[in-house]
Amino acid sequence: MADSEPRRGVGHRWLWPTLALPGTIWLLVIFVVPLYVVLAILFGGVDPILRQPVPVWDPRSWDFTQFDFVMGRIFGSDAYFRPALIRTVLYVAAASFLCLLIAYPVAYFTARFAGRWKGVLLAALIAPFWISYMMRMLAWVNLLQTNGLVNKTLSAGGLFDVHVAWLQGHGTTVVLGLVYGYVPYMILPLFAGLDRAPVSMLEAARDLGASRWETFRRVTWPLSRSAVVVSLLLTTLPMLGDYFTNDLLSGSPSTSMIGNLINNSVLTPGQTGQAGAFVLIILVVSVLPMFFYVRSTRYGDEVAS
Amino acid sequence: MGASTGPASDRARRLQRRTLLRAGLSALAVAPALSACRTRTHDYGTLRIPAPDHPVRWGLSKRYPVIDSGLKPKAGSTLRIYNYADYLSPRVMKDFEAQWGVSIHLSTFNDADEALTKIASESLGFDLYFPSYDSVGKLIQADFLRPLNPDYLPNTANLWHSLRDPWYDRGSRYTIPYTIYSTGIGWRSDLIDGDPSTLANPYDAFWDTQYRDNMAILDDWHTAMAMVLQRNGIDDINTTSSKDLALVRAQLLDLRRTMNPQVTIRMYTDMPAGQYGLAQFWSGDAINMPYYLPKNVDPGVLNFWFPPDGKGEVDNDLCVCLGQGSNPVAAHFFMNAILDDKIAGQNFGYTGYQPPLKQFTPSTLVDQGYLPENLSTAVVQQGDFKKGFPLLELPVTADGEYHQIWQEFKSGG
Repeated sequence: MADSEPRRGVGHRWLWPTLALPGTIWLLVIFVVPLYVVLAILFGGVDPILRQPVPVWDPRSWDFTQFDFVMGRIFGSDAYFRPALIRTVLYVAAASFLCLLIAYPVAYFTARFAGRWKGVLLAALIAPFWISYMMRMLAWVNLLQTNGLVNKTLSAGGLFDVHVAWLQGHGTTVVLGLVYGYVPYMILPLFAGLDRAPVSMLEAARDLGASRWETFRRVTWPLSRSAVVVSLLLTTLPMLGDYFTNDLLSGSPSTSMIGNLINNSVLTPGQTGQAGAFVLIILVVSVLPMFFYVRSTRYGDEVAS
Repeated sequence: MGASTGPASDRARRLQRRTLLRAGLSALAVAPALSACRTRTHDYGTLRIPAPDHPVRWGLSKRYPVIDSGLKPKAGSTLRIYNYADYLSPRVMKDFEAQWGVSIHLSTFNDADEALTKIASESLGFDLYFPSYDSVGKLIQADFLRPLNPDYLPNTANLWHSLRDPWYDRGSRYTIPYTIYSTGIGWRSDLIDGDPSTLANPYDAFWDTQYRDNMAILDDWHTAMAMVLQRNGIDDINTTSSKDLALVRAQLLDLRRTMNPQVTIRMYTDMPAGQYGLAQFWSGDAINMPYYLPKNVDPGVLNFWFPPDGKGEVDNDLCVCLGQGSNPVAAHFFMNAILDDKIAGQNFGYTGYQPPLKQFTPSTLVDQGYLPENLSTAVVQQGDFKKGFPLLELPVTADGEYHQIWQEFKSGG
């Protein structure tokens, strides 16, 4: 007995790290290594003629010029990057809010009231994933052109003279494009969260005299809060780095977002390192809510236990 | 009770911290090993910048030899071409594949900066690339190009005489001319009031607030900035003067603030679709417009202006053989094919970009139905290259300044 205990201990000691190994390697390959490459380029040099980035792998030789340049253009007196960052926050906040406004009722209806149509509705919700994001956006370009279907519809068959230049650099168009592009990503996790909520609790609330609204406010909403946070994370994070929606539906510098700054920097000789600084900004901004989420779910688990 | 409270969890936290500290120290220990990993940089000496008044004859590549004469493309091989989108006729490629038994793999880029970034990685194996001459010097001095064997290129005899021994590549050691084009103003007379060509300074149209939200400029830093210089009567569109660049910056920012322009290279489809009525245009794209125009719109509404005195921006794109490719013989055969009168005509019919071949003149192009009479101003003639201004490669410092102004303009700050 005394001999067998240490052996069990050794097995216990290696079991979980071994199980975690594939995930750890995966994380290293797809996150830590690319992040280090980004840092090596951001703090690296520039080829003198081709103006291409020259990564520096040794942190002791890192050069902070590009990073300082970007920070100076965000916080300094010549802050011409700052409006794009503020714009990104506003666009993404507005788009995420609108996504939630659309997605929550859809997910709620599918989870609670769809009955035997639930499968069909779910298939319909997944359908947008079958078409590439780019193609869906390109379709909007045709619809929103000055003589496109949207303006034709608004003109009520020629009754009114409508010449709205939707694609000529309007923030509204970009926000609506983001909503259209990302709303399916919000519906699915919301559906999963709402579908999992125990019906017995809702019935108990009604039995105890709560109205429909009170049941929603005091039971459904708190139970779905973590699903809301997950779905917001799933949509907000890719929106933060999105540049394609803006390029296609606006093409104007007046609606540039941080994704466009990254794209422009990556493709401009001599400025590639600056893209790394923007990536770091997105990383910091996105890691904070992630910590909040992890903390809140841990707290939830502790309360549950 | 919370699982993470109590002395046991405190000990666990201390252990985690200790593990983190150990990991950090290990990372520091790895640092000297990382210093051994170095990326190859280039030692170019002084950058030579060709210009009409400073023609350059480049030395032969140290890495890539000229191929032997008398070879044939290897059947079943793949020719990798790197080009702008819609800048090479699919039919031309298909015919070449059928004739020589090779398959063509086309990759595209949006602008020369993006292309240079990918070519510099040297890992994509492109055989042919279509640059402008403002990047030829960099490509040659970084030793990315394979010198050409003229034995494979008899069709160079079809070229304009002035481009057989060009100033940017004396002896045509690395390049053949592909297309020629001018940069001017395009507009649709049914979508804007007035005629920009009748203005004392037609470039002022881009700052005329009646066209706000109804215009676009080219998403090409040097071309767009050259337009601002020409607006101000500065013919040196490759200026390195701080005063000139400050003027360009001020007027570009003013343009963005007051006009809300689209910055794109899709005007050849956007304008026919009615997205805006006024745009800075490459002549080849202007010639392309009727093809994209809805059937119920008269092509007569399309217009293109280039300074009638010829003092505007004229350029030519080239075709070069990249050393990184593995199919240089097929690359030479393809280069020769696109200089054939018939094939070049097919290609022109698709791209709208004119080949600098003797048989293509404004009258022949209109007569053969390549473009309507109202767009004949978009045809480039040999004389335009005598009076016009080419975009040149810039010294490194000036290049950085131009790019920074463009970055500020595009970031919308």
